[in-house]
Amino acid sequence: MIGLPLLPVITIEFFGSGFAIVLSFMALRYAWSLVRLQPDNFIWGFLFSFCIALAAFSLSRGVGHMLRIILVYSDHGAIWKKLSPFSGGFNTMLIISASAVTIYYHKGLQAYKAIRSKAEMLTAVNSQLATSAEQLRQLNTHLEEMVDERTRNLSESEKKFRNFFEKSKDIIYFCDINGTITNINPSGRRLLGFNASENSVNFHDLFNNPKDLHHYLRQLLENGSVSDLEMECTGKDGTTRHILLSANAIYDPNDAIIGCEGIGKDMTRMKTITEQLISHEKMASVGQIAAGVAHEINTPLGIILGYTQLMMDDFKPDSEIGVNLQVVERQAKACRRIVADLLKFSRQAESVKAPIDLNKIIEEVLSVTEHTLHIHHIRVVRRFAAELPLVYGDGEKLHQVFINLFNNAQHAMEEGGELIVSTGKTAENVLVSVQDSGSGIPDAIQNKVFDPFFTTKEVGKGTGLGLSVTYGIVQEHNGAIEVESPVVDPITHTHFSGTAFHMRFPTTDKKNVNDEEHQ
Amino acid sequence: MKQTLFIQSIGLPVLLVLGQTESAWALQSHGAPEGIYVHQMAHLLFMGALAYLYWHTRRSPVLVSKGWKYLQLFCILLFCWNVLAFIGHTAFEHLVATDFIQRESWGEQLAPPLSVTKVLYFISKMDHFLYVPALIALVIGLRTFYLEARMEAAR
Repeated sequence: MIGLPLLPVITIEFFGSGFAIVLSFMALRYAWSLVRLQPDNFIWGFLFSFCIALAAFSLSRGVGHMLRIILVYSDHGAIWKKLSPFSGGFNTMLIISASAVTIYYHKGLQAYKAIRSKAEMLTAVNSQLATSAEQLRQLNTHLEEMVDERTRNLSESEKKFRNFFEKSKDIIYFCDINGTITNINPSGRRLLGFNASENSVNFHDLFNNPKDLHHYLRQLLENGSVSDLEMECTGKDGTTRHILLSANAIYDPNDAIIGCEGIGKDMTRMKTITEQLISHEKMASVGQIAAGVAHEINTPLGIILGYTQLMMDDFKPDSEIGVNLQVVERQAKACRRIVADLLKFSRQAESVKAPIDLNKIIEEVLSVTEHTLHIHHIRVVRRFAAELPLVYGDGEKLHQVFINLFNNAQHAMEEGGELIVSTGKTAENVLVSVQDSGSGIPDAIQNKVFDPFFTTKEVGKGTGLGLSVTYGIVQEHNGAIEVESPVVDPITHTHFSGTAFHMRFPTTDKKNVNDEEHQ
Repeated sequence: MKQTLFIQSIGLPVLLVLGQTESAWALQSHGAPEGIYVHQMAHLLFMGALAYLYWHTRRSPVLVSKGWKYLQLFCILLFCWNVLAFIGHTAFEHLVATDFIQRESWGEQLAPPLSVTKVLYFISKMDHFLYVPALIALVIGLRTFYLEARMEAAR
């Protein structure tokens, strides 16, 4: 029976040991290169330590195997017997070392991960800090410029809105939840008639009509805003104004109303003009009706008067029939005067026009009426403008205008007073004002004073045609007449009791121009 | 998990070996068999360490480089080498002088008849067929790491 030869095995063992030594040191070299390349990498550090242990083991084991083969098979077995325990001991120790390195890799890796995590965190924080520092540096660098620019923008914006607030012709106001005005622009103060020193003015108190106030507050509460609310208010100076109001509620962060801000447009003049336009239209219509009625009545009235006068020839004046006929004649003539007035109002009466100096016309009328006015303790004040332009008009009719106005003034000043007659001029018009210091005309009837047959006098004392005739004559002269009561001083805005009639007549120059335009 | 593995791979064999001692002395003498016992325990410890290293490199999602695959191959081969070495040492302990012919000469043979122990011993003597490839795998793995790290550094 043949044994199993061990020579091939010994050969493999010898050369294998050599290869193992070489390979283990190659591994160690790569591990060392890795550590040098990335010294902070724990895994490379572990592999390096492991490779040291493994290389030492391979060296110890390889050298041991090779020595054993050389010594034993060269009859030096005794030497190997002495070296063998050292070789085995080294081998064992190095195996344990390699194992220990691997086992401690676990804890080391955990520590490395924890440190790396912290390091990454610190790196991230450091990066953020660097970014923040850079931003802060840039911010700091540009802070002054930014502050300057924003301050400038803010200042411009503030100036713009302040200018708008201060220069606006409308009322701009801010008030708190109770309606107390916290801020209002100069136009608002002027229009509402109070000065800047007044601290506590309640906007709600300015409403004349409680329904308007209720509507205003309800709209603010429900919709948060009010649009185009027409309100009538009386300012602190007693002036009644018509305001077109738009306002918005102001809310706090909890959406609770804490006040309001609004803009009000003074529509008083617009309203007056509108009413005047309506009045003019009405007067034109009434004039047409009056003219028609006057024409229709005039003819039968003439017949009645004619027949009455014929019949008066047939009866003695002191007979009963003669007396009755005189009454009929007198009343018929009264009717004719009324009809004549109606025709004048409706501008149907014939007129002869020529250039006229109104100062002269007024003076002529005053020369007749001033005595009567003095009897009634009325002082006449003349404020005639010098070199008044001429007016193209009918002198007789213009006499009638001033007679009617002076008569009205006399009736308005039963206890006496002052009648101021003033004339003036503009580039295109001659202005005449007749102002009395009487009781004035209530607001409610100011629009009716020019209506035919409208009178406040007792029955029988006036026909109600005086101002209607005046209105008709002024209109016939392409002029305009307005009533003002109470009278407001245009400079001081002080109110005076009484009534003023302001008339405007085109000058002859303008008249000529208009005629040329018509031609 | 790690503790269980540790006990199974290292602790249990150690306990079994120590459990065979007959008496405990204050100053214990170290007899002849102690060397081979310690050496075998060292192989067991090394196997446990390699198993852990293999397991850890497999489960770590960050260790995805190709180099780790070679390192894992190294762990497997070296683990097998340890097993083979352990078997070889054990087999050698069971062989006696008569199991060899022309001992300590170039014509040395394992005497017939061949037994399992003899065959195991014979095979285990060629453990370099595992050890050398294991080291080759380690060298390739480390070289891969090095090249990658160098490329990264270059970037």
